[in-house]
Amino acid sequence: MGYAAARGGLKAIEAAERLVARERILGESSWLESRQMIEKLRLAVDRVMGEGGLWDEHLAASALRQAEGDPIEAAHLLRSFRSTLPRLAYTTPVDVDDMVVLRRIVPAFRNPPGPQLLGRTTDYTGRLLHTADEDTLREGAEKTAALLREAVVTDSDHDDPGDSERRPRRLLELLRELDAVVDRRRSDDPEPFDITRHPARPPATRSARLATMARAETGALVNVWYRNILGPDGYLHEITLGEVRHGRLPVTVIHPITGDEVSVTDVRVTEVEAIEDLDGIEEDRGRFDVGYGLCFGHNEKKAIAMANLDIACERDKGRSFLEQSILLTTDGLDASGFLEHLKLPHYVTFRSMMERKAAIRRHKESS
Amino acid sequence: MNTSLLKQVLGENVDEEDSTHVADVNFGLLDEYSKREIRRAILTAVAVPGYQVPFGSREMPVARGWGSGGLQISLGIVGPDDVVKVIDQGDDEGVNAVNLRRLIVSSTGIPESTTPEDSTLIQTRHRIPEDPLDERHVLVLQVPVPEPLRGVERDMRELARMHAEADYARMWVSLYEDKVRNGVITRTTGYPCLVNGRYVIATTPIPRWDVPRLHRSRFLSLFGAGREKRIYAVPPHTDVEPLTFEDVPFEVEITPGATCRTCGSSESFLVEVPASSADDRGHWVCSDSDWCRRRRERSLHPSRGVNT
Repeated sequence: MGYAAARGGLKAIEAAERLVARERILGESSWLESRQMIEKLRLAVDRVMGEGGLWDEHLAASALRQAEGDPIEAAHLLRSFRSTLPRLAYTTPVDVDDMVVLRRIVPAFRNPPGPQLLGRTTDYTGRLLHTADEDTLREGAEKTAALLREAVVTDSDHDDPGDSERRPRRLLELLRELDAVVDRRRSDDPEPFDITRHPARPPATRSARLATMARAETGALVNVWYRNILGPDGYLHEITLGEVRHGRLPVTVIHPITGDEVSVTDVRVTEVEAIEDLDGIEEDRGRFDVGYGLCFGHNEKKAIAMANLDIACERDKGRSFLEQSILLTTDGLDASGFLEHLKLPHYVTFRSMMERKAAIRRHKESS
Repeated sequence: MNTSLLKQVLGENVDEEDSTHVADVNFGLLDEYSKREIRRAILTAVAVPGYQVPFGSREMPVARGWGSGGLQISLGIVGPDDVVKVIDQGDDEGVNAVNLRRLIVSSTGIPESTTPEDSTLIQTRHRIPEDPLDERHVLVLQVPVPEPLRGVERDMRELARMHAEADYARMWVSLYEDKVRNGVITRTTGYPCLVNGRYVIATTPIPRWDVPRLHRSRFLSLFGAGREKRIYAVPPHTDVEPLTFEDVPFEVEITPGATCRTCGSSESFLVEVPASSADDRGHWVCSDSDWCRRRRERSLHPSRGVNT
């Protein structure tokens, strides 16, 4: 019988766990090192940290290995690990102008203030699959690596753009000087909404929306964006990117005993400012507005979708379901967990449905 | 982590024993602050029966939709003197029940049981045990969809208003239309009920069979929806009335003539085992496997009593 196989309790579960562990350990390849994943599968590790809401490259790599490469599952491992830890402190607010950029592009201007710094990107690289056999690829990579190591020793860092270029001005500053953007800056300083301690529900604060998107599943956020561009929803239009940055931000906390600010780590983040053309009847047609996106790691897709959705939500002012879609449907753990729960036994509910089907049929036959 | 530093940071609530737990795995897995937050939400839920209390649902070692809300309640209230029973579809041996029980037991060290008589904390998905429960028991129900009105309204802002004003008119209209179109009310499990004359709740997907057993029950029922971040409660001795019309009686699942093939019961919730071959006509069995087992054993060995 079908469900007899899915019963069987502890023994069956333990056997399934052993099978997973065994298949992961066996095989001809060597142990997959965290270091390797951090260096060579950087974007996967970054994505797991972002969706897991926890900055720790080694834990994220561990989670990715344990999850056999499934980023949502890996994010789940990180988040449930975090649930076992007490929250000891909050960081002090970070000034994003302290970011040391590794990459920065400004599509809105040919020569913006500050550099156009491509950094580590494959944006302009032909997507040509390396089809040579693995030994050849490895040999080539090792040779190149040797040459590069040599070059670093002999070459002075004449390509490095220098500190001022690493902390460039923002395009937004220029736009403000030109009085080209509406000013939505607020003078009060509300506490940010903590989505890990309170459920964010519409109507929500902007910080709740931003935090939700920063931790959202990348694919889900890209999809919400796209279905609003092309799909049935249509609550947003395309922005112009003012800033796309990837860089390092210092994280500081107040020391619980000395009371001093201490830097505890730095994190890599992707930051996006999106310029929106205000074209609504009641809006300031003479100016732009700006949406904001920031997430852990190098994940430009996510930060861009976030910035566009941020400004779309501001403009929407709760008229549509956009905010509810963002707050309620973009979390990877929520969506995939609920989808996968369909695999659980449902024979009690199904029995109840069968009984009602029979009742409806009986009624139709008798009337 | 350094214990004295931890104490300074965490404040008064941490003693030596707890801090070693924190460093390893805390009693009940969650940290003490999270447990306190969950307990506060539960207290609010008990004080306002049927009201869905928002809480900062934690990510658990089980996926959302797999009992993470029920698990948080269980781990939030469990104490060293508790005995836990976990069922899924009424079955203690269902794989997810086994996994949840394993998590509760391994993170607390408390004993487990399959018998309600011996248990104090019963976590369940989709069923209430057939045995009568009483003041000793807390029933924790895993809730996939806590919002009873979602079928008639999708906008959460409007839903909040409807509950706040007890405006359940559209729910009544939908039940009326259902009856008019189909001749019967076609709602299956999770039947909407009015609690304490005030809030309409979703009775998780427990079958209609179990709904009358929530009415003025002697036990406390706690409903946990982890994914949707809601906790609600039916305190003991509280009215739970299924929404129906004066001239349309509430109907539970009954199939005339069906009895459990294993224990012969016709007074329990039965699930169908379909025919597996041409000469097999299929049969029925109790969904509460432990209740069924004890009935069977009692009929074989009457001297052992009900709860062996």
